[in-house]
Amino acid sequence: MTTAAQKSKSAITLKGSAQIVCDYLNYGINSILFQRGLYPPESFKSEENYGLTILMSTDNKIKEFLSTTLEQLKGWLVDRSVNKVALVITNVKTLEVMERWDFLVEYEGDSKTEDQTSEKPLKQIKNEIRDVLKQIACSVAYLPLLDCLCSFDIQIYTKKDVDLPSEWTEAEPANIKDAQSVRMRSFSTNIHKMDTVVTYKNYN
Amino acid sequence: MLVGPQFLPPNDFLIRNKPFTMTENVNDTIMKMVKNLKATAQTDKMNNYEFTPLKRSISSSNSNESSFDEPTPVKRMKQENKLDLSYVGSPREMRRLRADLVEARNTILSLESRISQVHALRKQMQLVFDEENQSLKRQHEYDKKTIEELENQLQIIRKRETDLKNELAEVNSKYELLKIKSCEQMEKMEKTLEECKEETRQMESEENSIIPSLERRITELETMLEAAEEDAEAQKQLAAELEKRLSERNTMERDLELKDQALQKAKLHIKELEYAKENIIEFQDQIKASFLFNQVHKLANYSELEKENEQFKEENIRLKEEVRNKLLLEEEVYDLKNRLINYKAQEKKLADLQVQETQNTMYLNEWRAVARGICESCDSDAALPHLLRSTVERLQQQELTLTSEKVELESQFKTLTHEVKVAKSELEKNQKLLIELKTTGDQKQSLIHRMQKKLLLVSRERDSYRLQLDSYEKDLTMCANTTATGGGISNQLQAQKERIENLERIVEGYRDMVTKLENDLQNAQPNIHSEMVPVRAEQIARLQEELQQLKHDNEKLRERRDELEIQLEGYLIGQDTLQGGQAYHLANNPLAECLAQRENLVDKLEQEIEKLKRKIKNMEEGIEVSKIGDLSVCPQEVQALREQIKSHEQQTHMLKDYFKSQMQEFRNVIYNMLGYKIDRTQNSLYKLRSMYAEHADDQLCFHVNKEGELNLLENKFSATLEDMINLHLGHQKSIPVFLSAITMDLFNNKTISKTFQID
Repeated sequence: MTTAAQKSKSAITLKGSAQIVCDYLNYGINSILFQRGLYPPESFKSEENYGLTILMSTDNKIKEFLSTTLEQLKGWLVDRSVNKVALVITNVKTLEVMERWDFLVEYEGDSKTEDQTSEKPLKQIKNEIRDVLKQIACSVAYLPLLDCLCSFDIQIYTKKDVDLPSEWTEAEPANIKDAQSVRMRSFSTNIHKMDTVVTYKNYN
Repeated sequence: MLVGPQFLPPNDFLIRNKPFTMTENVNDTIMKMVKNLKATAQTDKMNNYEFTPLKRSISSSNSNESSFDEPTPVKRMKQENKLDLSYVGSPREMRRLRADLVEARNTILSLESRISQVHALRKQMQLVFDEENQSLKRQHEYDKKTIEELENQLQIIRKRETDLKNELAEVNSKYELLKIKSCEQMEKMEKTLEECKEETRQMESEENSIIPSLERRITELETMLEAAEEDAEAQKQLAAELEKRLSERNTMERDLELKDQALQKAKLHIKELEYAKENIIEFQDQIKASFLFNQVHKLANYSELEKENEQFKEENIRLKEEVRNKLLLEEEVYDLKNRLINYKAQEKKLADLQVQETQNTMYLNEWRAVARGICESCDSDAALPHLLRSTVERLQQQELTLTSEKVELESQFKTLTHEVKVAKSELEKNQKLLIELKTTGDQKQSLIHRMQKKLLLVSRERDSYRLQLDSYEKDLTMCANTTATGGGISNQLQAQKERIENLERIVEGYRDMVTKLENDLQNAQPNIHSEMVPVRAEQIARLQEELQQLKHDNEKLRERRDELEIQLEGYLIGQDTLQGGQAYHLANNPLAECLAQRENLVDKLEQEIEKLKRKIKNMEEGIEVSKIGDLSVCPQEVQALREQIKSHEQQTHMLKDYFKSQMQEFRNVIYNMLGYKIDRTQNSLYKLRSMYAEHADDQLCFHVNKEGELNLLENKFSATLEDMINLHLGHQKSIPVFLSAITMDLFNNKTISKTFQID
């Protein structure tokens, strides 16, 4: 997948950068879904990437949902119209937002053209992504236990005036009361810079 | 530089002048000199024209030399031009001219020297001015520093003031606390005082109530005591009397007994006498018959006997009366004994009363001692209660006065505390004022000091300027003198005057500059100068206050901002912002799906709940309906089970009926065949009743033991069958034989009776 991002041996195109980001999100979200126990562990199977073993969901519904969402996100990332991607974990009973994983997108380089390229080596980017994913895996240690029936949603925060496909609807911003947030490492492709922040309800 | 070439020619001239005294030579020399002069003048001119513009350009603003030197060469050149023109060939004139020239040269020299002097002066002045300037600058810096220091001090003082304010607030709070505490203490004291009062009142009332009651009791007791004493005396008298009477009675009894004895004796005597009389009568009869002689004698004896008899009769009557008296006396004795017992009880009571009385007197004495202690008097006991009452009243009055005094003192204390408060506040105000005044005084003193220094400097400056002016004036007068003597060089003088004027003007310019600089300095140090004016000081104070207030406000606002920032941070962490854009998500996301599922589930559950509720309601309404309800739960199964149960019941019933009828039949058959009805009453206890039994109660009881053997139990009927038991059971050891023997026996009996009946 990531090989597609390489136009030549040394350059990453805008689309390739968007693909890297989407791949990261795919692995990251799956990892979170597994770590936070939203779905039974039996429904995940391990996959090797970034030098890590990552557990990916085998649920077809989740797969489909993630692929459609990330496909759309890739388009918007190329258009530079995404501010952030939020994975919102909600208590199904009370509709209370328990956790919000913010993937903040920043655009580096000022050219608006399609053929923006980055000279950053892919290995370095992958190392950065690996570090972030490790942090996500470690976050279970301090995040509160989700002992209620929870489900997730992916919200994409865009700039104004975005062409909205038919399946998409507007979402309410997910606010958390008595929240505490932890900022993870960030990685950058020199085109897109991605910050990962987890905000969770603090019971203390 | 300019002086060099000017001074050279005269020297030359002087040297050459000494050896030549002749006119030709002189002429030659003059010519040469003139030529030289010309040449020098020209070179001078050249030099001047070469250098002046440059110099002007370089030092047009502040250079001293150029500005002063500039006008001189031009004039000189003019002079020389004139000299050149007025040159005529006559020797006298030449001499005169030479002399003039010498003179002029001298004057020029003097003027040059003066100019140099003036230059030097100028330089000095410049130096002085520079010094002054530097000193002023230093002053300025120093002032700035002092201002900064003062500002720092001011800030420190403000801080201290805030600290002091805080302290004041603390002290105030402490004072308030102390006040509250003191108030509480006062209240407590008041309460205790009131309690004491109440106690004293109670005590008094108790005393008041106790004393009369005690008195009353004492009097009562006294009266009781008197009565008891009287009683006791009466009792004693009575007892004595009774004792006397008792002794009398005793003596009388003893007499009576003696008399009884006598009476007995007398009776015996009477009987003897009667017997004797009878004997005598018989004897008289006998005697009558035999001894008529003796009859008369006897008759005489008889009268005597009759007399004796009557005497005895009388005695008898008396004795009888005495006996009656004795009975009476006995009764009286009994009565008296009872009374004595009563009196003894009363005596006991009396002793108790006496003990009580002594106790009471002791109490009374104690009370009296207390009363005496209270009244502090050694008067008689009668006046004691009154004294006590009066003392109590006095104490009450004292108490009243004391309370009123206390109230007064409290009010005084309150007023004093208020005054102290006021005084403290005034003191603080005054202290503040004092501090302010001190600070202002210090400031003013420093100001005065500074001003004095400045004044000194200014006066020095003024003196120096005056000196300068004097020197200029002197120079001017000298010039005037020289011009007066040498009228030919009026033009030169005029030029010099002009130069002096120029110099003066320049000096004036410097003065202006100095004043301007001073003004600048003043402007630069407005604080120092403004403080001199009281109005400014007020303004400054006001401004400082404003500044303080503003600072305070600033601090407050900063704190508020910090708080709000903290709050905002708290809110922001959880808050999600759209960043001016929009948030989108897929319509059929897992959350929505999950929610829909949940909703469905909830709907289902609600429906079920509704159903169950209805069922419960129905069940509550009646069992029949509930049965229907139950049937609806698993009707077929229940139905089948019911049917099964019914069939089973029927089966069991049928079996029961069948067994019953069979049993009955079996029993009947046995009864008819063996002649015995067998009943099993208890566990392993069998009762046999024969068909031919004479009575319904004639039964045989058999018990089956653990080994299965049959034992005959004894009863009324078995007792009558001893022979058969011995024969068949004891000997033959066969129960059937025994039973059949009994059957035979009973049958025989019955048939015999029947046959008898038939017969």
